[in-house]
Amino acid sequence: MLKPILLVEDNPRDLELTLLALERSQLANEVIVLRDGAEALDYLLRRNSYAGRDDGNPAVLLLDLKLPKVDGLEVLKQVRDTAELRSIPTVMLTSSREEPDLLRAYELGVNAYVVKPVEFKEFVAAISDLGVFWAVLNEPPPGSLRLNRRGSN
Amino acid sequence: MTTDHNPLDQAIERCAQEPIQIPGSIQPQGFLLTVDDSTLRVLQASENVDRWFGLPASEILGQSFAELVSADFDLRGQLDYLPEADVFPFHIGDVRLRQGAPDQPPLRVLAHRHDQVLILEFEPSQKADGVYKGDYYPLVRAFVSSLHQATSIEELLLHSVRQIKRITGFGRVKAYRFDSEGNGTVLAESVDPGYPSYLGLSFPASDIPRQARELYRINRIRLIEDANYQPSPLLPALNPLTGKPLDMSFAALRSVSPVHLQYMRNMGTLASMSLSIVVDGQLWGLVSCHHERPRQVDVQTRTACELLASVLSLQLESRESHERTRTLLDLRERIVRMLAAMADHDSVSLGLLEQPEVLLAFAGANGAAIISAERCDLIGETPTAAQVNALVHWLGRRGDEVIFHTDNVGRDIEELPELASRVGGILAVAISQLHSHYLVWFRPEQARLVNWAGQPEKAISPQGHLSPRHSFDRWQEEVRGFSAPWDSLVIDGVLELRMAVLGIVLRKAEELAQLTGELKRSNKELEAFSYSVSHDLRAPLRHIAGYTELLNEIEGEHLSERGRRFLSHIDEAARFAGSLVDNLLNFSQMGRSALRLADVDLNTLVHAIRQELEPDYQGRDIVWAIAPLPVVIGDPAFINMALHNLVANAIKYTRGRAPARIEIGAMQHEQETEVYVRDNGVGFDMAYANKLFGVFQRLHRMEEFEGTGIGLASVRRIIERHDGRVWAEGQVGQGASFHFTLPRHQPHS
Repeated sequence: MLKPILLVEDNPRDLELTLLALERSQLANEVIVLRDGAEALDYLLRRNSYAGRDDGNPAVLLLDLKLPKVDGLEVLKQVRDTAELRSIPTVMLTSSREEPDLLRAYELGVNAYVVKPVEFKEFVAAISDLGVFWAVLNEPPPGSLRLNRRGSN
Repeated sequence: MTTDHNPLDQAIERCAQEPIQIPGSIQPQGFLLTVDDSTLRVLQASENVDRWFGLPASEILGQSFAELVSADFDLRGQLDYLPEADVFPFHIGDVRLRQGAPDQPPLRVLAHRHDQVLILEFEPSQKADGVYKGDYYPLVRAFVSSLHQATSIEELLLHSVRQIKRITGFGRVKAYRFDSEGNGTVLAESVDPGYPSYLGLSFPASDIPRQARELYRINRIRLIEDANYQPSPLLPALNPLTGKPLDMSFAALRSVSPVHLQYMRNMGTLASMSLSIVVDGQLWGLVSCHHERPRQVDVQTRTACELLASVLSLQLESRESHERTRTLLDLRERIVRMLAAMADHDSVSLGLLEQPEVLLAFAGANGAAIISAERCDLIGETPTAAQVNALVHWLGRRGDEVIFHTDNVGRDIEELPELASRVGGILAVAISQLHSHYLVWFRPEQARLVNWAGQPEKAISPQGHLSPRHSFDRWQEEVRGFSAPWDSLVIDGVLELRMAVLGIVLRKAEELAQLTGELKRSNKELEAFSYSVSHDLRAPLRHIAGYTELLNEIEGEHLSERGRRFLSHIDEAARFAGSLVDNLLNFSQMGRSALRLADVDLNTLVHAIRQELEPDYQGRDIVWAIAPLPVVIGDPAFINMALHNLVANAIKYTRGRAPARIEIGAMQHEQETEVYVRDNGVGFDMAYANKLFGVFQRLHRMEEFEGTGIGLASVRRIIERHDGRVWAEGQVGQGASFHFTLPRHQPHS
């Protein structure tokens, strides 16, 4: 049915808060959580432990900027460089307000960039806006499959 | 060499061309033979030899020297005594002529080698009347010790002329010194009664032609025993070995120019002797001896006089070099003092200005100007600033010369006639021509009287030849337009100062470059720091705020009233810390991001800011007095931020006033636009005015007025990045006004 939301976040607190925010936005999409950039690439490119996953791209990729192993910008670059992944809407989540990061992300073709607000209410609002916009409102690119909601592993 | 336009110049030049070293004849008080150095046979003889030999010169020619003199004179043996490096006639002995010659006392023989031949001069050995007959050595010794006691150059010269007069018996002996143009002024004189005195008088350079001057320099004595002499020609006229007239530069008997003989007769002197004073290889002056009647001076006396003149020259040389060393030390010492002051102030101009008397004394000037791109400072007696500027432009047009000096501004800077009315001499050095950075010294005009010994004009004969002047009466001339001349040591010193100043300027540039490097580095570090603050500090704050809210939401009902209050404090603190971090980051970004300049309409901006802030003052009684505001040039986002801060502050600090009054206005000045925001709020103590714009500086307690203490610091940073200024005025309880300015024309940098 609905394509999953792919959330890549290494910080457990941020992860919990983001999941809570997504939950509150009442999206029907399944949320697949990955904890570092390498894992994210494995999932997206269906390699290693994700070699056998079902076909199809996520509805939206929520990507933290700072990630262990392979950082967010590098993941974004590979997504944009890979023909099958190129059309995945990607949103960069970050604590940083620094311009260089932001510029680099836009150069690499990010769809949106969210500086996580300190206040939880605002955070919920931002996440929910994003999810709704990208996961629900956006027409999926032609040929993409709708998958059933399922757990992350 | 010289450009000869008028007849006088042409005549002087012709006089200077007269070949005085090859006159082809001698003075007849003795005779001259040139002898082949290897065969010792006679090549040339003066026509007057018959007076001594009783034979015409033609019969002497070709004869072996030995056959001409008595057998006991061994010429070859005597020649071995000739000093090797000396070109001057040397007394090799006395000789009797061969048998058959008229009976006579022995003759002095002077020999010197020149022009490829051996030149032998013979002269009578007896002394004239009225001449010192004793031994010369004690005399010379007494003279040398007397020179050491002389305290001035004049005294030194006076000792010398007295001594020379004593041993030669001349009626007048005077010593004069040449100035840089060759005019000679008599500084010492010893005269017999009846002789006119020339002390203090000047003789023009034209009295001694160029080639005669050069001859004085190399041959240090010249004697003319009788101005009415009949020159005796050499036979044959040409030196057989060279085919040219004999070069008699060093011959004691050399005949002199008829112009000079006429000059002597005009002056009323029939005998003269000149001794050169040569200092550092230059003709410094002359000791000139005159006698109204013909006068003989024998070889011994001449040699003694030459020796005295040499001692005098050495004494003068040592004094002058001593003097130079002292001047040089003074110059150096002053350079060091100026450099120290410049280093102290880290500025060339300020350093020099601090010690005006040193700057003036350094060049011996009465006034000076220090000109740089920004300023023109005048010290002492100078022309007006406008005239100095005109001079700097004039100097700039002259091309690449680093130094310029003149002791006659009127003559050398015709383009600026008004300058000559203020100063006589100028010494200017360019520290940097590119940046119009000059140091200039001024000396006043010194009108002086010159007492010429006669009007310094020679008459020209109808043939265009120079005929010497007849009058030696005192003739006064007032010389105007000149300052004291600039000593070459001072000029060298100025160049030295320039090099040192350039060193300082260069070092400052290097320091600046180093500082820029350090700044870049620390800027990079700051960026890295704020980056990590942005990431690492915000995350935990976000977690605290998030979990506090969730806890309150989920478990709030189970908590006590106190517990819920604590939770709300945690929440507030986290949120405040969050905004603190955000503001700090904004603040640091402000210093780094580039300005995007555009026209900013302040009316629109203020309108928008008021709407934006409306929630903050809803329900309050505020009287807004907003004047029509101009359009300024600035970065719209930054200007908005600055104004937003000021208006928000005005709203905040008028809390409790009813009505609150907030006034926003602007004033146009020539170079800048001033904008102000005034309120009738709590105000502040002016004692803290300088603290207002610092980061985290707060003048009120947190409970009274909230805030992170960064707003005004941001305002200042924004305005200063626009090259504007910020300031505040206020009084406790009486309100405050905050002002900032923006340049009306942004420089294109």
